[in-house]
Amino acid sequence: MSQQSRRLILCADDDADILSLVSLRLERAGFDVVRVSDGEAALEVLRTQRPAVSVLDVMMPRRTGYEVLAAVRADDSIRDLKVILLSARVQKSDIELGLKAGADAYLAKPFRSDELVATIEELLSS
Amino acid sequence: MPEEHKAKFAKRQPHSRQGWPAVACTRLVLTTLRMADSVPLPTALTRDARNIPASWLFLGLGGTAIAVYFFLQANAQSVVYVVIGAVSVTAIFVGSTRNLSRRRRLPWYLFGFGLLGQVAGDLVFTFYEVARGREPSSPSLADLFYLISLPLLGAGVFFVLRRVGSMASRDGILDTVVVFSGAGLIQWVFFIDPLTHMAFDSRWVQIAQMAYPAAAVLLLVAVAQLLVGATARVLAYQLLLVSMVLWVAAVEAYSLDIDRYRRGSWIDGIGLAAYVVWGAAALDPSVRGLIRRDRRGLPRLTRTRLALLAAALLAAPAVLVIERMAHHHVHAYAAGIGGAILGVLVLMRLAGLVNSVERARRSERVFRHEAQQAQQLLASQNEQLLELDRLKDEFVSSISHELRTPLTSISGYVEVLLEGETDDERRSHLSIVDRNAHRLLGLVSDLLFAARLQDGRLELDGEDVDLKRVVSHAVESARPRAETGGVHLGTVLVDVPPVSGEPDRLAQLLDNLISNAIKFTPPGGNVTVRLAATDGTVSIEVSDTGIGVPETERERLFERFFRSQTALERQIQGTGLGLHISKAIVEAHGGRIGVDSEEGSGTTFVVELPVAG
Repeated sequence: MSQQSRRLILCADDDADILSLVSLRLERAGFDVVRVSDGEAALEVLRTQRPAVSVLDVMMPRRTGYEVLAAVRADDSIRDLKVILLSARVQKSDIELGLKAGADAYLAKPFRSDELVATIEELLSS
Repeated sequence: MPEEHKAKFAKRQPHSRQGWPAVACTRLVLTTLRMADSVPLPTALTRDARNIPASWLFLGLGGTAIAVYFFLQANAQSVVYVVIGAVSVTAIFVGSTRNLSRRRRLPWYLFGFGLLGQVAGDLVFTFYEVARGREPSSPSLADLFYLISLPLLGAGVFFVLRRVGSMASRDGILDTVVVFSGAGLIQWVFFIDPLTHMAFDSRWVQIAQMAYPAAAVLLLVAVAQLLVGATARVLAYQLLLVSMVLWVAAVEAYSLDIDRYRRGSWIDGIGLAAYVVWGAAALDPSVRGLIRRDRRGLPRLTRTRLALLAAALLAAPAVLVIERMAHHHVHAYAAGIGGAILGVLVLMRLAGLVNSVERARRSERVFRHEAQQAQQLLASQNEQLLELDRLKDEFVSSISHELRTPLTSISGYVEVLLEGETDDERRSHLSIVDRNAHRLLGLVSDLLFAARLQDGRLELDGEDVDLKRVVSHAVESARPRAETGGVHLGTVLVDVPPVSGEPDRLAQLLDNLISNAIKFTPPGGNVTVRLAATDGTVSIEVSDTGIGVPETERERLFERFFRSQTALERQIQGTGLGLHISKAIVEAHGGRIGVDSEEGSGTTFVVELPVAG
């Protein structure tokens, strides 16, 4: 895999097992992954490292996925970064809420790794 | 005053040639009475009564007899008079015995014995005239019979009304006393008091004569009570009222017309009619309804009741005016005292009315207050329920979240392991873990869905859905499972107009039905999905050649958590939620789902959905 194609992805999840799983999947797909386990840290990485795509859990301590997303969209310097919400909250109302808050995609847990990778690729190419 | 006019009522039975002994008549009545309980009416009467009600038959025959009466000689008339009376009394006993239960007969037996007293009086009088050639000396046994009979009639009315409870209230009693006072005043002034100024052979004769108009007061009160009574207005009631009125009219007419009365006068007609109508009342089957309580609740201040009270109140001034106009001796004391009593009574009645209005208003206030409190309670309970509902939603949603998170790790890592595993046995074991993780996930989804269904909320986004695509997709994703189970999965699909609905929910529906069909079909069997369009509906048919559903279970098939006995016996996995959810989805789309099955040879589920637009 060439150096140019390696792109930075932020993974944020308070569940360490899932964080590892997502990171593993993305690293195997050829992405560079930054891992954090709460919303505050996620926002910090977003501002300092500007990852091309962020995969955020919704129910996180300190700042929820929604709040991080809202902060991103309110910050001119990082508002164009792509954000995917990855959540076990799968009711229609949750999904609508996430998309309305400005998520580029909303994926349900348990997720299919090929679907996650495809979504990221699609966002990167757009 | 001529001797023959002294005994006013005795006089209407003069000089009968052919007198029956009173005893014989009584024995006849009592014998009939005894028979009536156990055997039907005499055959001639029953045969006719089969078509015509006995009461009408009796009225017809009685009317004819009365008409004939006026064409007879005086002696024959007196016989016929007694016969009509005796037959009517018999009718009362027979009718009430046949129509009424033992406990309800008392008033009618009182009427019967009252009228029997009248007939007995007539017979005694006749016996004296025929056997001794003279009238009985006054006061006689005849007077005793007559006088005893009148209160019996009044008592009968009292017991009829008491059974329906119209005497129970203070107002009911007060009304009775008012009418009694008014009637008493009139009777005293016009009928009783004049007798105190007449010369009689003895004090006893005078008292006997005064007793008749006095007894008539009772009858007048009885008529008035009957008029406003709480009894059902059935035919028997109408007849009883008519006969009472006729009876009072006859008594009063005799009293007013003492000197000119002769056998065969029109007054006889009234007396005879009273007998006949009374008998008819007892014979009419509606007499059973007479003791039924009127539903309107009493005593109400009806128009009739008001008119009666007004008439009673006006009795005193009317008496004064009439006497003054006729240049009579004016009963100033009687009218004054009577008027005062009536005034006080009516005032008491008025006070009762005002009180009850006040009471009604007070209780209305209390009720209104209670209603307001109840409403507030209801509102706060409603709020609590909404809050509970919200909490439940929150709970279900968070449970679902909590279950999905570990499942994500399980299935995710199993997938990772599977990708790197080359040993077939270990791959097979990992596949089992993967499959079961997915089953658990499906179960969690179904539970969440069913929990929301229980609230009755299944809101759909409407969009045009091509069912052919949904069905094809569902069939293709079910194919691996069918192959694993050795079931052949076939389709008969045509192009159909779009239906309005939510693709995900319709896919869930198809998945449920197809999975079910595969689960319940043994290896080698067939599952076929057919799509068809008829007038305005698209129908999906999922049929299998499986084990079938027993008829007893078909109705319960769509109930939440219902599992068929065969499924349990054969250990076919499931939660009992699939069909419940399927039905809810179909109904939320405005459609219908039905099942047809033959045990042992297969089942077909049919879903009909309305075409969009």
